[in-house]
Amino acid sequence: MKKLIEPDNIMKFKSMREPLTLEAAIKESNRCLLCYDAPCSAGCPAGTDPGKFIRQIKFHNYKGAARTIRRNNILGSSCAFICPVENLCEKACSSKAIDNPVNISGLQRFATEYGKNNRLEPLEKSRKDNGKIAVIGCGPSGMGCASALAKMNYDVVIFEKQPQAGGVPKWNIPEYRLPEDAIHYDVKNLLDQGVEIKYETAVDTTGAVEALLDKGFDAVYISTGLAEAFKLDLFNGFSNAMDYNTFLRQVKFERPDTGLKGKNAAIIGGGSVAIDSAVSAKACGANKVYLISLEQLHELPADEEEIKLAHIMNIIFKAGCSIIRVDADKNRITGLQGIETEWIEPGKYTPDNARQIPGTEFSIRVDLVVQAIGTRPGNEVKGFGRNLQTCGKGVIVVNENMETNIPGVFAGGDVINGGNTVVQAVGDGKKAAGQIDNYLKNRRTTI
Amino acid sequence: MIKQADLSISFCGVKFENPFCLSSSPVGYHAEMCARAYEAGWGGIVYKTLGLEKSFKVVMPSPRLNAFHSGDKRFIGLQNAEQITDRPITDNIRDLVWLKKNYPGKVLISSIMGYNDQDWTELAKMSEDAGADLLELNFSCPQMAHKRAGHRVGQDFHAVAAFTEVVKKASKLPVIAKMTPNITDMVPVALAAKEGGADAISAINTIRAITDIDIDTFTPLPNIKGKSSPTGFSGPSVKPIALRFVSELYNAKNLNLPISGIGGIETWVDALHFLLLGASNLQVTTGIMKYGYRIVEDMIEGLSDYMLDRNIHSLEEIIGKAAQKIVDPSEFNTRYQVVSKVDENKCIGCGQCYISCQDGANQAMNFDTVTRKASVNEERCLGCMLCKHVCPVWDCISYKEVDTMTTKHAAIF
Repeated sequence: MKKLIEPDNIMKFKSMREPLTLEAAIKESNRCLLCYDAPCSAGCPAGTDPGKFIRQIKFHNYKGAARTIRRNNILGSSCAFICPVENLCEKACSSKAIDNPVNISGLQRFATEYGKNNRLEPLEKSRKDNGKIAVIGCGPSGMGCASALAKMNYDVVIFEKQPQAGGVPKWNIPEYRLPEDAIHYDVKNLLDQGVEIKYETAVDTTGAVEALLDKGFDAVYISTGLAEAFKLDLFNGFSNAMDYNTFLRQVKFERPDTGLKGKNAAIIGGGSVAIDSAVSAKACGANKVYLISLEQLHELPADEEEIKLAHIMNIIFKAGCSIIRVDADKNRITGLQGIETEWIEPGKYTPDNARQIPGTEFSIRVDLVVQAIGTRPGNEVKGFGRNLQTCGKGVIVVNENMETNIPGVFAGGDVINGGNTVVQAVGDGKKAAGQIDNYLKNRRTTI
Repeated sequence: MIKQADLSISFCGVKFENPFCLSSSPVGYHAEMCARAYEAGWGGIVYKTLGLEKSFKVVMPSPRLNAFHSGDKRFIGLQNAEQITDRPITDNIRDLVWLKKNYPGKVLISSIMGYNDQDWTELAKMSEDAGADLLELNFSCPQMAHKRAGHRVGQDFHAVAAFTEVVKKASKLPVIAKMTPNITDMVPVALAAKEGGADAISAINTIRAITDIDIDTFTPLPNIKGKSSPTGFSGPSVKPIALRFVSELYNAKNLNLPISGIGGIETWVDALHFLLLGASNLQVTTGIMKYGYRIVEDMIEGLSDYMLDRNIHSLEEIIGKAAQKIVDPSEFNTRYQVVSKVDENKCIGCGQCYISCQDGANQAMNFDTVTRKASVNEERCLGCMLCKHVCPVWDCISYKEVDTMTTKHAAIF
């Protein structure tokens, strides 16, 4: 089943994906082969178990399907909108061998919606008699970990820097991809489990993790994600250049006062967030939106569907290009001078491997520059614990048990992998919860 | 030029250009509808059953219908609470006259239902005078509001014989007696009709059934103002049962009457199944109610191609061919045993065969979770072929014979 993208809906930031109707869900679930080994389920990093919830839909057990999703994936409602299913569960679907994969995300949206509309009972509250855990950061990974721990009757407190929970899906993912309701529902489910969220509580003092352990927490899970966006020196000091984090958040929460109507915008980058930024700029009324990337079109790291969306929204791709100079009026950028590039060594997509092609210079007029060239963990992460081991751009090093070099301190999600899917972050959180439980069980037996 | 096989067939001495007819139902409710059916290509029409309003005034209940769905398959059966015609007899007779006058080459069958000897006589005479080619006696409507009509008559051998005799006396037309399936054995009733002078048997009428229940109000559907009734069920779901009855009529030693086959026909393949089990005339309603008269085009073209491809010159050559292969289970050769065989190249690795064999057969299927391929443990295989029937790939699983003289087979202890 093809997902249709309606440009009109995008322009209104209305969800580009509707839940399947009951009729459509019955039809679609009947296409499922109910595989013995459910490769779709094996293909889900968070263990949402589509093989089971599709079977439940097929046998008219719609509430059961909603329960399965929610029990297995605390972000089940959000994932149903934003999961790159074509690379995960649907990629593994056996029906592909007959015709097309089952529309798993559509069925997930249907079941979640059905649960919401049919008085699905709240998730069971944690008895909180199995130890106390601190989770730093209430994004997908922190929520995944907290939910799994609450299920094991731990007392979980999440420290969240922001005034609301949800992390990247809450702050950065445009509403045409993820309706606010979806993330609210996921957070509500987590709160139903008795998980406490301390909002606007930044854990950024040096040795904060040790302090938490001293204060009576039995273990800590760090899931602070990637808070710091990379910026290019070229755009330093200009008032109309910003990183994608700032931009997407502005679009989401300050609309319609983004001031973009009729203006031109340049997005630097070629990943999913670059496309989100470009499409959002267009949806805010921007005139021309350029997407400038070193990668050629077929090399863009963004998903195929996102690139298709950008095409539909008339984003101007400057693929295989680089910006060499900025035209400015005082501290405002007025234009960009660019040049086409090629890779020195094929297949190596790093800036130092790009070579400019003389004579291909171009210039564009822009009113806004958004940099979407990657992120890294916030600077405070290094100081979380004395000698907390990090590497590369500042990601935390963990062993196969998701444990850092500090005993009792675990980490997962983007802060350890440098940036992956929401569903992967939830999976990390669930896995870490299991490891925390093991760790505390072992500690109890050794004492 | 596209070749067209000769689909014509004689039934009770009446020549049909093809065996496809409307059965007595809403699809043949009045002349305008029947005319469109003729134009679409139907060889004959069994007009909506006539009755005399002076004896019994028919008022249809509402709603009349409820469909039977399974999973995403909609309308695999239809339940109806429809009775015989509710139109005045004079209107219907005028329609019959008009139809015969405008479509003299097509066959017109008048279905009738009386409540006493006089009704049957009058209806038979009126139909003959109007130009009907045949009469069909409705002994089988399962939801008549009249207590001494429809399937209640069809379950009473003496009534069937007696009313048939009355009609035969009143009219020279060949008479088809329409059987109810709401009975254990249809053959004695058919024999009673024969005794009364019937020239042919049509089967089956609808099966009394309950298709659905409103689980909030605890009311079976159709919900007729808070009440319901097990009424006539038809469509693809009943075809297997209809085929059984038709084959039993065909194979009945003393019957030897032509059979008009009815029950779930939608395609030429369905039609062929009825012919192969002994029907020489075919009737359709539910398929038309769902898809319209146009389905006859595909029946004609499909059956014609089937005949041309196999060099069959006349339908007579194939009628009853499959009925001859039907025996009592006691006559099966159980030395013949098979085991199933999986085509590894076609296996898509869903493991449905494995699940079904594990929980519904003899645990003879292996499933390799690494290669995601199924394979057969021949020593345990019963040859039941459940695996083949659950496999989503139609030609992935087949079977092969095992020499039970030299090889141990799981089905033989």
